[in-house]
Amino acid sequence: METTPNALEESLEHQPSSPSDSKMDRITYNDDVVRKFIAASMIFGIVGMLVGVIVALQLAWHPANASAAGPWFSFGRLRPLHTNAAIFAFVGNMMFAGIYHSTQRLVKARLFSDFLSNLHFWGWQAIIVAAAISLPMGYTQAKEYAELEWPIDIAITLIWVVFAVNFFGTLAKRREKHLYVAIWFYIATIVTVAALHIVNSLAIPIFAMKSYSVFGGAQDALVQWWYGHNAVAFFLTTPILGIMYYYVPKAAERPVYSYRLSIIHFWALVFIYIWAGPHHLLNTALPAWAQTLGMVFSVVLWPPSWGGMINGLFTIRGNWAKLRVDPVMKFFAAGITFYGMSTFEGPLLSIKSVSALAHYTDWIVAHVHGGTLGWNGLMAFGMFYWLVPRLYGVQLHSKKAADAHFWLATVGIAIYMLSMWTAGIGQGLMLRAVKPDGSLSYATFVETLLTIKPLYFVRFGGGLMYLTGILLMTWNLIATVRAGKPVVTTVDVPALVDEKKEVPWTELLFGKPTLIIFAVIGLAVLTGATNLIAGSFFLVVAAMVAVLGGLVLTKKDDGGEPTWHRLLEGRGLLFTVLTTIAILIGGVAEIVPSLVSSPTEAGIAVKVDPYRPLELEGRDIYIREGCYNCHSQAIRTFRYEEQRYGAVSTLADSRYDHPFQWGSKRTGPDIAREGGKYPNLWHYNHLVDPRAVTAGSNMPPYKFLATSSVDLEKTRFKMRGLSKVGVPYTQADIDGSVENSREQGKAIAEDLKANGVTVAADSEMVALVAYLQRLGKLRVDVAPAPRSATLDPLGTH
Amino acid sequence: MSTKAPATARPPVVHTYDDIIEEDNELPKWWVGTLLLCTAFGVAYYMAYSMYGIFDNPDIAFEKESAITRAKEAERLKAEGPVDKAALLLLSKDSATVADGAQVFTTTCAVCHAANGGGGIGPNLTDDAWLHGGAPDAIYKTINEGVTGKGMPAWGPQLGSKRVKAAAAYVITLRGTKVAGGKEAQGAPFEGD
Repeated sequence: METTPNALEESLEHQPSSPSDSKMDRITYNDDVVRKFIAASMIFGIVGMLVGVIVALQLAWHPANASAAGPWFSFGRLRPLHTNAAIFAFVGNMMFAGIYHSTQRLVKARLFSDFLSNLHFWGWQAIIVAAAISLPMGYTQAKEYAELEWPIDIAITLIWVVFAVNFFGTLAKRREKHLYVAIWFYIATIVTVAALHIVNSLAIPIFAMKSYSVFGGAQDALVQWWYGHNAVAFFLTTPILGIMYYYVPKAAERPVYSYRLSIIHFWALVFIYIWAGPHHLLNTALPAWAQTLGMVFSVVLWPPSWGGMINGLFTIRGNWAKLRVDPVMKFFAAGITFYGMSTFEGPLLSIKSVSALAHYTDWIVAHVHGGTLGWNGLMAFGMFYWLVPRLYGVQLHSKKAADAHFWLATVGIAIYMLSMWTAGIGQGLMLRAVKPDGSLSYATFVETLLTIKPLYFVRFGGGLMYLTGILLMTWNLIATVRAGKPVVTTVDVPALVDEKKEVPWTELLFGKPTLIIFAVIGLAVLTGATNLIAGSFFLVVAAMVAVLGGLVLTKKDDGGEPTWHRLLEGRGLLFTVLTTIAILIGGVAEIVPSLVSSPTEAGIAVKVDPYRPLELEGRDIYIREGCYNCHSQAIRTFRYEEQRYGAVSTLADSRYDHPFQWGSKRTGPDIAREGGKYPNLWHYNHLVDPRAVTAGSNMPPYKFLATSSVDLEKTRFKMRGLSKVGVPYTQADIDGSVENSREQGKAIAEDLKANGVTVAADSEMVALVAYLQRLGKLRVDVAPAPRSATLDPLGTH
Repeated sequence: MSTKAPATARPPVVHTYDDIIEEDNELPKWWVGTLLLCTAFGVAYYMAYSMYGIFDNPDIAFEKESAITRAKEAERLKAEGPVDKAALLLLSKDSATVADGAQVFTTTCAVCHAANGGGGIGPNLTDDAWLHGGAPDAIYKTINEGVTGKGMPAWGPQLGSKRVKAAAAYVITLRGTKVAGGKEAQGAPFEGD
């Protein structure tokens, strides 16, 4: 141990045996903001689930898109609203309530600032309202769970800083020297979400509500899924684990199972999670090493995740009897079980060959809903049922209703997941099925959709049950609140006595555990820098040092001396710094190489022509309508994908795509190589009424595009912005954009007119068709015709 | 630590926070074992794929697999015999093949060429004018390989040669039937096989 004897004096975590020994502080907790966050979470929980039920219906029954009422309610625009509401409004507000309530009690201090608490609350709600208005209007950055446009992104950053200042300010004035495991998870949440949000939202603003990602193509894909996966990790997992560590032992009235398990699973989780992002991009054009790292770290992530589940379930295990009578315990036990299930399914889905089947299908949809409805939702409900009566000084209004809610929720999730598992696996198998002669068994994509469509109705039913449960809870909790009144909690706690001689921070920073970590990092660097034999040796040694070092450190049974980690728990700032380093390593190792490598190194040295101005406008319409929610643009390295969609996608294909449009779900077919596949008229007919060309399609109609026009004068600003992030538009291209668009639009409009359809050359319809006809044809070597000949993507049809 | 209980039957209580008691139980052995196994798997997998190249990464595996399937496909096509005018004309007189072809036509072609072949988005297949040739082998080629940039997709990869041949046989039977309400003629007049 690298402690000094003086460090033994530190031990103020317990009430002194005789209160008169030390000075007592009287503190009143700020529970007002907690009550507000709970109310907001319930309101937005209803909104989020309601929109979820609506989009589920839209997939099963296309008239639910309410296209006659306008474009605002189509699936492509509502689906981001559903995900944002569920993640950031429902779970976000619940998380803030839990963090603020538990942190005050765990560190024995009132929240740092009432003003900041209120600013945090109202600022967050304003952001949610801005999202609820701007997403249906079509303002989107087209990056999943990060759709909100740049002004809202800035607001999120500011409010997150308010949250961080308020939280760390509370820690700074704490009267409990040591930070409990829940607080570790809260620290990891605040630091990591800040880093993820800022990097992934980096964009070049064009207009008040329009911007382009500074990253393009595969780089953007890598950054987005580094963000996307870790939004799951650090917005939906770590804060809820922290909440679990406070509310589960409280509700179970049992001790937390294992402190050493907390230590090892916390550090393993925050370090490993950040590497797992590329598992969203398996079997694509992403460089193989990044795919391998994404898969490997996802598999290794399984035990650390289960460490949290074990600590939760083994805590409850001491009091199974309570599970039968207390709805709170039912929600917690089921929630933690869903966590265990999802964190087993996640690594499974990250295995390349499993991903080959499951990716882009409803299996992934089942997986994420197991996490959100099962883990986040049930933990939220458990926390609400435990907390609200205590915050209002009454008993829960109806235990029976809470029990009914539990069954509605769990059965609803079961129906949801079973139907989506079946749909996903079924469709995945159909899409890869081939006849003995090697041709596709299901030659058209829509055949597979029609087969699974009944399951979309079943899923709708499951979602409806879950929504009913939330409504029941809201009624129950409102009745509870009405019966009581807000409780003001005041406690007397001993003031924190300044340690006279603390262990110097350098001694902690260079303690055994950090030295082990430095050794592992050094060995990992050597792995990359040396030859195969030596590299292999270093890699194996690094893994052994990491695992064995971790186990040895947590096994340490000392004779009463505080361990290194115990000392660290007393140092909030140092703890935060080490957490930050742990989460940065994976991100830097995976993302930086792709940012600094030259096009040649990245294998994309082939010549690529950027989109023409009208195609760029069409692409922005594609983004606005959220087409990427159902159509991928990434043909994976499989024979059956090549047969169905065309040549496998390369890095060059999407090189100038800011943002990338690889997608994550195929409700419709991949369209990476759509260009030239069908005539303009096919696209026109399909967009006006998808079922006119594809019987059984569930795509919403986009008839209004024929009558709305593109402001061609504005394209130049977009091109100028894109030229600043590396898209090779020349000044001449930008100056001639209007002329160029008119020419291209005219050619398409004339072609349509020759086929009996009259549509304006500057209509959004024509722009979108121009974009679709260019897809997969950006590479100059694929379309070897001289540039002038590409003016009309369809030639002289 | 000052509060650490002496080792007894009960696991040691290490800390208390806001009345939450924290015990310090041993890590479950199966969990430790899983952690070690997963880490070992991860290291081995990384070495096998990214260092030694023992197993092929997805892009290389795909290239190899494609080469094999293409060779097999070529072999199979060779065994099926030449797809020439005579063979296709013969097929167009075989009622079973034409029936198969009609079915393929309904599910994949009718969208653009109309259920009766009279045309719509795509040209009329029942008149005497042909954009890409009306000879049996030209029809087969158009269906199989598509016409890049003209909006005729290549159906060969999806349907396979058997279904493409059946569809071609069916289209051959449509030629010159001049269905009512068909699209106006496009392309060069067809002179005969």
